[in-house]
Amino acid sequence: MKAPDFSYFEAQNIEDAIKYKSEDDEAVILAGGQSLLPALNMRLSSPSCLIDISKINNLNEIKIEGDFINIGALATHSDVMNNDLVHEKLPCLVDILKMVAHAAIRNKGTHGGSIAYGDPAAELPAFAVAMNAEIVLSGLSGQRIVNAKDFYLGLFETDLKSDEILIAIRYPLLDVNQHLIFDEVCRRHGDYAMAGLMAKVELDQSKINNLDLVYFATGDKPNVGQNTAKLVIDDGYDYEKLKKSLASEIDFAGDLNSSSEMKLHLATILINKILNKLER
Amino acid sequence: MDDIKVNQNPKLGSMDRPNSYIGRSLPRENAKKHLEGGGQFVDDLVLPRMLHVAFLRSPFAHAEIKSINVEEAKKSPGVFDVYTAKEIDEYCTPWVGTLGHLGEMRSPEQTPLAKKIARWQGEPIAVVIANNRAQAEDALELIEVDWEEKDAQVDMETALDDNAVVIHPELGSNLFWTRTVNQGDVNQAFETSHAVVQTTLDFARHTGVTLESRGIVADWNKSEGKITIYHNGQAPHMMQHIIAKHLEVNEGLVRIVSRDVGGSFGIKVHVYPDEMAVAAISKKLGRPIKFIADRLESFTTDIHARCHKISGKLGVDKEGKILAMEINDLSGIGPFSMYPRTSAIETNQVLNLSGAPYVIPNYKAVGTVVFQNKTPMCQYRAVGHPIAVAITEALIDKAANKIDIGLSEIRKKNFIPDNAYPNKTPSGVPLEDLSHEASMDKLLTMMNIQDIEKEKIANLDKNVLCGYGVISMCEVTNPSPLFYGVGGAHISSQDGASIRLEGSGAIHLSSSITEQGQGTEAIMKQIAADQLGVSMDSVRVTLGDTDATPYGGGTWASRGAGIGGEAVLKAARILKDNILDIAAAIMQTDKNSLDVENNTVIRKNGGEGITLQQLAETVYYRGHELPKGTNPELLATASFLIEGIPFVFTNSAMGCKVSIDQDTGIIKIDKFWAVEDCGTQINPKLVEEQIRGGVIQGIGGALFEECVYDDQGNMQNATMADYLVPMAYEMPDIIVDHVTTNSGRSIIGAKGAGEAGTGGAPAVIMNAVNNALKHHGTEVLSQPITPEKILRALGKI
Ligand SMILES: Cc1cc2nc3c(=O)[nH]c(=O)nc-3n(C[C@H](O)[C@H](O)[C@H](O)COP(=O)(O)OP(=O)(O)OC[C@H]3O[C@@H](n4cnc5c(N)ncnc54)[C@H](O)[C@@H]3O)c2cc1C
Repeated sequence: MKAPDFSYFEAQNIEDAIKYKSEDDEAVILAGGQSLLPALNMRLSSPSCLIDISKINNLNEIKIEGDFINIGALATHSDVMNNDLVHEKLPCLVDILKMVAHAAIRNKGTHGGSIAYGDPAAELPAFAVAMNAEIVLSGLSGQRIVNAKDFYLGLFETDLKSDEILIAIRYPLLDVNQHLIFDEVCRRHGDYAMAGLMAKVELDQSKINNLDLVYFATGDKPNVGQNTAKLVIDDGYDYEKLKKSLASEIDFAGDLNSSSEMKLHLATILINKILNKLER
Repeated sequence: MDDIKVNQNPKLGSMDRPNSYIGRSLPRENAKKHLEGGGQFVDDLVLPRMLHVAFLRSPFAHAEIKSINVEEAKKSPGVFDVYTAKEIDEYCTPWVGTLGHLGEMRSPEQTPLAKKIARWQGEPIAVVIANNRAQAEDALELIEVDWEEKDAQVDMETALDDNAVVIHPELGSNLFWTRTVNQGDVNQAFETSHAVVQTTLDFARHTGVTLESRGIVADWNKSEGKITIYHNGQAPHMMQHIIAKHLEVNEGLVRIVSRDVGGSFGIKVHVYPDEMAVAAISKKLGRPIKFIADRLESFTTDIHARCHKISGKLGVDKEGKILAMEINDLSGIGPFSMYPRTSAIETNQVLNLSGAPYVIPNYKAVGTVVFQNKTPMCQYRAVGHPIAVAITEALIDKAANKIDIGLSEIRKKNFIPDNAYPNKTPSGVPLEDLSHEASMDKLLTMMNIQDIEKEKIANLDKNVLCGYGVISMCEVTNPSPLFYGVGGAHISSQDGASIRLEGSGAIHLSSSITEQGQGTEAIMKQIAADQLGVSMDSVRVTLGDTDATPYGGGTWASRGAGIGGEAVLKAARILKDNILDIAAAIMQTDKNSLDVENNTVIRKNGGEGITLQQLAETVYYRGHELPKGTNPELLATASFLIEGIPFVFTNSAMGCKVSIDQDTGIIKIDKFWAVEDCGTQINPKLVEEQIRGGVIQGIGGALFEECVYDDQGNMQNATMADYLVPMAYEMPDIIVDHVTTNSGRSIIGAKGAGEAGTGGAPAVIMNAVNNALKHHGTEVLSQPITPEKILRALGKI
């Protein structure tokens, strides 16, 4: 379990990193290394060069920009959890990050790394999709913004182009009647979930006006339960009905800890858990 | 918890005296060393001219090596050489994992590297020797093997079928070993039983997951003809014999050094082909060679354990008295029986230990052990116990439910009474000094079952079900020569201790017991200081070096305190006696008027004494001052061995309460209780660490751990992310208490305490889960009990 040889480039600024990356197809970006380095040590990939972006200044800033909270790609999970703005404007993210791995990993793993890596079992990609976040990418031809919904294409596959670096994620601030509620079922605390749900709920008094259901650890990418959400708004929680609907719109893929039937079941009961958590 | 426990062993004297350390929860010094990063593990060792190795391992469970080409790999940067079986076999003779005392065992010869056929995914077939491990791994990718995949016999349940793949054609079948125990007449007893219950349990394979993986540095010194092996094993003298025998080196010129070892749990007491290859390479090249298993290698080459399917039947009379028990156990051990302890012992223990706490007049047990194309399986902490205890206790719960009596009541009805020892297990193994009745009584007062029952009933129609269980068990500890030695294995059942007073007044102690993190050093110190009358900080301990310690068995089967500790006690008493003889001569007084306290020989009736330092200085530097004829012996050595019985058994009672979420299938252990009777506790806190740690490993087996294989025999979860061990969040409160029945076999009276938790927890957790599920008319009979199994049992998916 020793990584194959690679060269190493410590980028001082984004421009250098982009330039370097565009010149070498086989180079990869290194952020916190919590996903990349284990993969290298297992010799699952052998990149030519690691472009270390972790020393680039200001890429870990967390700030309010208009109606958005902007989280810099290099903010670690711990940075985000301990940030006052996040506590004030997006407290649900703090609770979500408590479920991401363990303290040591959260001290290194970055927000941008998790979003860019696009692990279908990870919390943040689903969170970004549910929040309708904007993903800020920077490449040779400048910056562009991709909506999180359009960013995830398939299993570990994103819209990130080979010359691009993810530099920030912009989350629209929630209105007072909007809530982001999440729950997940894990075999052990800190593990990737057997199934998890990010639900963005918009309330009118106590009635659900709008609902987005985004699942993680269920398929090849964050899975949106669009029709199912409509059923919930119309009829409330009906296990059999919702299960049938989820089965028809999401292709549940089993893994070592839970079969596809298990995931479908958990996805269904997670809706009930979310509704129970909703303070109406 | 108070840190001073009254020592209830009259043979050890009162605790109300200076330097009375036996029975106290003193902190152990080596914990500080490890916390500060000051340990010395095998991988910390760097020797001049040292080379590193990486093994090419079979990617298939069963495949023929048509050809193998290492030429490109040899040219890879930093590579010294690349060997296959041909080169290694010249330096290491093959071995066979069979013993002579348990009936016929059939296992073929095994060599360090597979020759023509690889028989499990992970079996080593070639080795790269390079300047560092990374370069060795680079070269592995350049070795070309022309594989011809063969059908694999993965499932143990079909291993004896007519159309099974016979892994070793020369043996004719995949049968390794079988044993039948038959006491009384079970068939007749079942016929006359008021109720007969049956069940079948499945136990997945799991493994030991030591924090420090296996590691070895072998250093052949050609000019001395001596090989030194730095090894993180448990039994240095066993290893000394093995290396001498298979490398054909004079045994006296083999030195095994086992310094700090980061956990072992039985994983590191076996002979591994890759480690033997490393020793052979060192002898071939005359250079130090290092191998440290990485985590992937650990998962596919460390021994696995469990892998049993056991069915059982229990007959009781109207009152719930057991009339008969019958079990039939099948176990799969991979393609070879491990050397030198064999892979028969787990099944043997299942047959020996099932029903052990109870009077069972008619008992039949059949064990069958088969080969399969998976990682070899062998003895791991609590060998066989989880299976024996789970089948016994599951059947007893079923019987209690059937005739509608309480779970503790049925057990109490059937215990071998505390005053009826010596006695025998249903299988006929001698038992003595046990306390199932007292332990269960204590457990019940700790648990308060009425309250749990109330909560359970209140929850019956809620989403979260509540359940509980109680069990009793016997634990094998302190084995005698009848365990391995009698079967022809060079595994010492005796241990030695050597203790000396040095010129500075310091005490040096060495023992053949080894330390893997459990606190061996600490208890050795406590015994020596207690018996000598010196402060703890004046004792220094050396363990784990065949050149420096007395000969003996090492650490396994919970034998360190009971056997090794007794040897220390005996040696310390001899040394003290010598000290008093010399002091009496110097002080011109009667020996009986003297004692040693706080490192000083005192006059019991008052008056000036002399310090041990003064005494030692006189003996060592000014011996001419001693009265003529004084024996200047300040070094004492003693040994100890269990005689007359196969094992010194320990007993425990355990209880637990669980909650089951019917939506998610997640099981939470709300609380766990354990009462242990291990006789004298030398250091109560260390005993409780053993119980708690053991329980956690038992929780692993019951709820989480499984080596998952696909049907081609590929292990699917060989990483720490996918193989689930319980972590801090999964650890419940574990309340531990004790009953003390000293072992009559020794002065110290200590039995072992290292394995009960691992042996008992799976049974009591499973019973608690099924107690909770009972209301829904369902049960889960296979471990680990995963959320998915719960949901399937409840019909949710
Ligand atoms: C034991 C363990 C448990 C874990 N459990 C969880 C969990 O429960 N939930 C969870 O969500 N995560 C979990 N993780 C993953 C963790 O959150 C990672 O830190 C995260 O997914 C990746 O962040 P990183 O900064 O470490 O990325 P790296 O490992 O450095 O990179 C990951 C990938 O993303 C690319 N990348 C990184 N940053 C950028 C960027 N700015 N622009 C473009 N590409 C980029 C890299 O090239 C690489 O391909 C776990 C990790 C471990 C080791």
